[in-house]
Amino acid sequence: MNIDPFLLWLESTALSQWIVGSPSMFAFPAILAVHAIGMGFAVGICLALDLRILGVAPGVRIAEMRRFVPIVWIAFWINAISGVLLLIGYPTKALTNPVFYLKLLLIGVGLWLFSRIGRRVFDETAGEQRAASPIVQRLAILSLACWVGAVTAGRLLAYTYHRLTALG
Amino acid sequence: MLHDLQVWLVTNIIAHSPVAHMMRTAWGWPIAESIHFLGLCLLIGCIGTFDLRLLGIAKRVPIAAMHRLIPWGILGFVINASSGLMFLLTEPDQYIYNPSFHFKFLFIAIAGLNAGTFYLSSYRQIFGANPSLDAPLRAKLIAAISLSAWVLVIICGRMLTFYRPAPCIGQQTSLLLTCAPAPEKRTSH
Repeated sequence: MNIDPFLLWLESTALSQWIVGSPSMFAFPAILAVHAIGMGFAVGICLALDLRILGVAPGVRIAEMRRFVPIVWIAFWINAISGVLLLIGYPTKALTNPVFYLKLLLIGVGLWLFSRIGRRVFDETAGEQRAASPIVQRLAILSLACWVGAVTAGRLLAYTYHRLTALG
Repeated sequence: MLHDLQVWLVTNIIAHSPVAHMMRTAWGWPIAESIHFLGLCLLIGCIGTFDLRLLGIAKRVPIAAMHRLIPWGILGFVINASSGLMFLLTEPDQYIYNPSFHFKFLFIAIAGLNAGTFYLSSYRQIFGANPSLDAPLRAKLIAAISLSAWVLVIICGRMLTFYRPAPCIGQQTSLLLTCAPAPEKRTSH
């Protein structure tokens, strides 16, 4: 399937041209900065939860870490929106690069693991349980691997693309 | 004087950089950048989470218990200071004359001094004989400054690309050079 007409159309929209071409710092630079801040909080808190499950800071009741879950989701949605804006800016650059789909897949699996881990450890009836079960620990290791992969894939997008725009 | 120090640093780093060759291989720079972003996540995930606890999220978690995450946040900082140094030692003029880098450095210094203030002032109060579940106002202020400073560090880091220093035209009057002095000016001193 040839998606070039779609890419050409998207790149011709006013929003896309503003994101890429505007000299304003609130266009491309600000969107990138927001995307990095969202990453720091969303991925960072997930890493902290994984570390806690793997035995770091044993005095913290794992179930209490659920208080940070809303922040992960706020940061995730900030990044979903800023990510879509970056995608509208350079659709060809991302959509013609397999690494972009790998990044999305790793984020998807990472979020799935996050909610699966959450269902097992954020339950109040878990009581004073301080150590996570081996199953949850394995999920936490997988989660760590997914986030390391997603962040790395995201960074490599700047180096692995074949076409920058539909015309180029 | 600061101007001379900047020129001296750039000149000497270019002449003697131990890592520039490795960083200029196909994967050197991209791998260092990926590590830099992962360190960022670790720093925000551990130090930011502790700051949020001081600010009142997850109040039932003892502050001292939460504090055990801090060494991992410091590990994130060390990872980023090291990978950041790799960039600086490869393209020194892109950072030493970059106003965004000057601000990034300033906010890192503020975050560092702020953390120092925490351990000198609120630390005893929070981890002493009667650890309160609600942090004192002073500690909350420090936590808010910490979060703000690290967010500003990220913003300045991301802005580096957009403030790449150009060669200087005319006299520099600012505190720090924000463009690369033309080579003939360097030798005219």
